[in-house]
Amino acid sequence: MEKAKISSYQLFTLIFLFQIGSAVWFPVSLDAKQDAWLATHIAMAGGFCLFFMYYGLYRYYPDLPLTEYVQRVLGSVLGKGLAFFYVLYFTYVAASIVRDFGELLATIAYPTTPLFILNVLFLLVVVYTVYKGIEVISRTSEVLFVAMCLLLLSGILLIMISGIIHIENLKPVLEEGLSPVIKSAFAETLYFPFGQMVAFAMIFPYVKEREKVKRTGLWAVGISGLLLALVAAGNISILGLEHASRAQFPLLASIQSIKVAKFLERLDIYFILFVMIGGFIKLSLFFHVAVMGTSHLFQVKHPSHLAYPMGIVVLLVSMTTASSYTEYMEEWRAVYLPYIDSSFQAVIPVLLFIIAFFKNRKKAV
Amino acid sequence: MNRKGMFLFLLAISVCFLSGCWSKRELTDLAFISAYSLDLTEEGNYEATVQVINPGNITSGLQGGGGGASSPPVIVYSVTGENLSDMDALVTKKLSRTPYYAHTDLVVISDELAKKEGLPPILDELDRDIEFRTTTTVVISKETKAKDLLTTLTGTDRVSATKIVKTLDTTEKMLGENLRVNVHELITQITSTGKEPVLPSFTLKGDPLQGKTVNNVQSSELEAAPEADGLAMFKEGKLIDWIDGETARGTLWTLDKVQTTITSISWEKEKKAIAYKVMRQKTKVSATLTKGKPKLSISTRAEGDIAEVKVPVDLTDPHVIKKIEKELGKEIKSEIEKAVQQAQQNKSDIFGFGEVVHRTDPKAWKKLEKEWNDRTFAELEVDVKVEALIRRTGLVNNSLHTTLKKEGE
Repeated sequence: MEKAKISSYQLFTLIFLFQIGSAVWFPVSLDAKQDAWLATHIAMAGGFCLFFMYYGLYRYYPDLPLTEYVQRVLGSVLGKGLAFFYVLYFTYVAASIVRDFGELLATIAYPTTPLFILNVLFLLVVVYTVYKGIEVISRTSEVLFVAMCLLLLSGILLIMISGIIHIENLKPVLEEGLSPVIKSAFAETLYFPFGQMVAFAMIFPYVKEREKVKRTGLWAVGISGLLLALVAAGNISILGLEHASRAQFPLLASIQSIKVAKFLERLDIYFILFVMIGGFIKLSLFFHVAVMGTSHLFQVKHPSHLAYPMGIVVLLVSMTTASSYTEYMEEWRAVYLPYIDSSFQAVIPVLLFIIAFFKNRKKAV
Repeated sequence: MNRKGMFLFLLAISVCFLSGCWSKRELTDLAFISAYSLDLTEEGNYEATVQVINPGNITSGLQGGGGGASSPPVIVYSVTGENLSDMDALVTKKLSRTPYYAHTDLVVISDELAKKEGLPPILDELDRDIEFRTTTTVVISKETKAKDLLTTLTGTDRVSATKIVKTLDTTEKMLGENLRVNVHELITQITSTGKEPVLPSFTLKGDPLQGKTVNNVQSSELEAAPEADGLAMFKEGKLIDWIDGETARGTLWTLDKVQTTITSISWEKEKKAIAYKVMRQKTKVSATLTKGKPKLSISTRAEGDIAEVKVPVDLTDPHVIKKIEKELGKEIKSEIEKAVQQAQQNKSDIFGFGEVVHRTDPKAWKKLEKEWNDRTFAELEVDVKVEALIRRTGLVNNSLHTTLKKEGE
């Protein structure tokens, strides 16, 4: 465990940027149709529950990251096995974020550049950041958070001024009843992005002000959740349900339809900045926890030495995971989301929490 | 490796990445496409035409004929093919530069293509392409080849794409018989079950062959010029009818798109005796369902001024004003009713009444959706209420006709 410390404000910015990181540009909870914003709210409630669980585990072992305390909870052998799988999971998520980015940039900005080059460039920056450690990531996120806020405010303002919002597109509310909304919330949105907070189980021990972790975390999850709901509602009211669900990147389509005073248009750069800032933080964090997990597990003295070699692993995984974007999305939807995500983000932490609860109660008695 | 070595190594590597611009395109190697048109050839293939801006000739002679410019401000290239991407590639056989579609302002689709093939086959490429913007305006060419609208040279605005788009904007604002629709809106309307699209149509007045030459812009009265001409009505993606004149304006009233316009009424047997300038208006469409049977009501509230009076009327009398307001209401109402009637005859819900019903009663809509256009919409009961308010009478109160009449007596 490196001797780094981050402040609770830094934690807030990290969680915020992490949450909206790749979720802001993906078509989130569109299975709920025009009630996507409602589904996001419901998923956010679920996200709070998950957060409480990760927080509960953190309270039992405030000095240890996830990969360490599983060994305390489950015993050395089983715990090490599980920690190893967690490391694999984090590595895979990091690779999938790299892939997401490469695909997005190849689609909208660099059509003739090979995906490999895009991924290499993005990873180079991230690997360097992770090499520098969590403090640097946190400080970067502190700076980027301000930029993100300015972008968000000006973006929302521009959208309102250009008058492209058609609230009536959100009607009828709950056309098919509540069940598809809840289904979409718990089948998809809960795990992406709220459940990905599991990575913070590795970050909480760094926080200086321990008593503030809960409040900061809840605020960050709440605000980013509301923002995601706003984006979901915005996309549908601007584009209409049909177009929003057909678009590969609904937010991009929304931003492209901004037209203010005949000269403020073609603001695609807004989208690219959203994506770069959020994605950079998200990838840095996942990659960081993967590196930290590995170094704990194999007792490597200087975790940062692992950054470059693991960067190559992430790069290769990101390239080989699927041969086309369609295949990649199908993989994500059919295997990754329902089985892997749900177990690593919800099922396993719940079990860990229950075991930890009984173990610690015994101790207390 | 020591720190310094590592640093230098990274620095050296970044040089390779930073200096290269993988997808760079020099400005001088780009052909800016200002407009794109699609026709149907006799063999049933597409004919795509791109209007390329001739950069040197845009800046010279901003006003009117352009004087010294010997070559036209735009050059037009046509190719035939079976799909749009194919034609985009084929057109490079004729162009010296890389075609660049991001600044395309206008897409013109010929009426023949819209009637026979319909729009859906050509829309996918426009939606999918990264370079092409979905905010581009779409226009239907009426009784002329779409290509002819691009080849015709225009006066004040030297690029005909700009001219057509600006004309649309202006006439939508001042007259309200046309409206600007972009690719995104068109696609949304085509895919919706509760709304059919309407598109603005343009026609070419004059001889297209004359329009091609620089001579066309060297006289004060252009031999050939594109002109906005009503709306095109669609059903299931195919052009089925034209909407002209007052009916077109009625359509815009219903769609709540009228900004300012002139409405005239007869007064004491004199036709179009009083002209009323609408300054602002709001139209609301709502639906009520009784036993699953929908009934639509349109309510319009317009505010404006008296613009012109051709007969002696006492405009200082509030009662007279009230009477004029009533007449105006009737006039606007009849425009709206005409528009609704035409749409009902064509069984095409261009007003989005279906969407209103969908929002009002989602369950009933499920049953109505299938036969909406062909049965329910065609037989729909529509109630129109118009309230026209006169706020001011311009710089004059009573017309000079009143004085003339007194002198006559």
